Amino acid sequence: MQSRLLRKLPQGPPMVKRDMTLQQALNQALHQMMAENDSVVCIGEDIAVSGGVFGVTGGLAERFGNARVIDTPISETAFVGMAVGAAMTGLKPMVELMFCDFAGVCFDQILNQAAKARFLSNNRLELPLIIRTTMGAGDGSGAMHSQSLHGLFACIPGLTVVCPSTPADAAGLLKASFASADPVVFMENKQLYTTTGPVGEDLPVVPLGKAALVRAGGDVTVVAASAMVQQALKAASALESGGVSVAVIDPRTIKPLDIDTIITSVEKTGRLLVVDEGAAYGGFADAVIAQVTQGAFEFLRSKPGKLTPPDTPVPYAVLAEQAWLPGAKDIEKAVLNMMDQNNDNT
Amino acid sequence: MSKTALHHYQRCCFIRAFESAIATQAAAGNVPGLVHLSTGSEVADVVLASHLDSRLDQVTGSHRSHGIALACGAEPLEVAKEILGKEGGLSDGLGGTQHLIAPEAGFLTSNGIVGAQVPMAAGAALSAKTRADGGIGVAVFGDGAANQGAVLETMNLAVVLKLPMLFVMYNNGMAQTTAAATATGGSLIARSESFGLEAYTTDSADYADCIRVFGKAVQTARRGTAACVDVAVTRDHGHYFGDGDADDFQASTAMKSLEKYILNQSISLDSLTAAKNRAQEDAVAVVAQAAAGAADG
Repeated sequence: MQSRLLRKLPQGPPMVKRDMTLQQALNQALHQMMAENDSVVCIGEDIAVSGGVFGVTGGLAERFGNARVIDTPISETAFVGMAVGAAMTGLKPMVELMFCDFAGVCFDQILNQAAKARFLSNNRLELPLIIRTTMGAGDGSGAMHSQSLHGLFACIPGLTVVCPSTPADAAGLLKASFASADPVVFMENKQLYTTTGPVGEDLPVVPLGKAALVRAGGDVTVVAASAMVQQALKAASALESGGVSVAVIDPRTIKPLDIDTIITSVEKTGRLLVVDEGAAYGGFADAVIAQVTQGAFEFLRSKPGKLTPPDTPVPYAVLAEQAWLPGAKDIEKAVLNMMDQNNDNT
Repeated sequence: MSKTALHHYQRCCFIRAFESAIATQAAAGNVPGLVHLSTGSEVADVVLASHLDSRLDQVTGSHRSHGIALACGAEPLEVAKEILGKEGGLSDGLGGTQHLIAPEAGFLTSNGIVGAQVPMAAGAALSAKTRADGGIGVAVFGDGAANQGAVLETMNLAVVLKLPMLFVMYNNGMAQTTAAATATGGSLIARSESFGLEAYTTDSADYADCIRVFGKAVQTARRGTAACVDVAVTRDHGHYFGDGDADDFQASTAMKSLEKYILNQSISLDSLTAAKNRAQEDAVAVVAQAAAGAADG
């Protein structure tokens, strides 16, 4: 295969970068991880013969065989549980859960089994398990194939939760997840699979728990995850022409959260807006606001803001779904509104 | 065979006395929560474990797993301390009675969620299959768990993936307080057969049959054909200790029947009694040692 040949070439600076889609970046990372470690097995519905409903596991079965790339029955509890047991006994399983909405049918294996194994064994068991799953509304998939449940997973002690927004981050964070000895829920936004971006030739690792300042700015800090990063960047460009300088931070890892990078920016801007496709109540946006308020209250010049969908399931009709999702225009409005506030109590 | 039977009997007596001593500790308020004693399944525990290889095989069990964990070879003092919630327990008391973890003894984990341990044994089977080391994954669960989707899904998965896996259903006829007659439609072993598993039925009160059936089922699983054993056991001390059942810790029905079997094998009553007394003394001593010292200490 091409990637195997490329790895054999002498490596040296400058790093060659190629444009590829997020789906291709993930696929190449999986090929690389399976080639490097015989203990890696991939488990899921329609991942072997068809290469995954989003094409992420394409070519793996042909290259590594059906003993390591396993098509399962539609039995999420059984195959996620099997992956948990396999991770406890020496394998490095990557399980694909087609949509994060399906976590509902196998939640016990995630919530009670995967997440608690290290704790209950008092560090004697490692659980090197990756659950790759999808999230994100915007493609008319309806209420049970469109949710963004990263906040739900993040509130369970023992789970690492990753939400990449670029092809390079997707590949690099997936490789970091393979290096983890603990369970990682790796959430791919369906709307981002075709996003194109430059990726280093050997797919450089991106560390877990490290946010990216994707755009520097001095007036407002916008924290946005997954597909909301693109919306935030679009809004930031538009606002710049109006003289408002917006910093955009992509946490990349939802948990553990790189709160230091966020607080450093807020100390400069004094304003925080969190844009998230997750829960309107008790979700990731609320968690970020709580931590910033507790950690940098004296720097805040306006009340922290959040933009999330309303507290309803994802609607199906095109216009309803568009209205439900936060977008660049909503972000512009929220930022300008925030700029009008000045808390001079400090 | 007779020597083996006597050895097995002694192991059963140890488990029974261990559980009795734990019950005494529970009654004295020295156990943090409720304990689900495995009295009644001693013979099944010991016979099953006797066919396993702790270097290759991994067993997952239910919330009622003290007996099978001990039978597999988990260190009794560490098991006792774990149940009492103490440092020096298997997990220094973080897991407790329902979360016994002793993979070094071939006992991967027990579980607080009914049926959840079953897919995890499929994972142990997948690891063994991938390593091609001849090991098997064994899921021990009750007839109450057999109505959980996790169990039924895993039966199907084990067959289609040709996993070296053994399902062991301890059939005591009760799901917490609900009788199997009102909780279960059809026949449980017929269900496993319909999934394509090699299905076996035995009764722990028939030691010789139990030995034969578990031996055959383990061999079948080792060859890569998923198998299921429905073994009749009793539940001698309720769902959890103290919920109203008799407190006789002398011997289970299956153990009494094993005593008869041994006496018919030209082993003297004295030898039998000596084995029983030795096991009881050992068990009482180990639980007393675990209980000694400050709580959580």
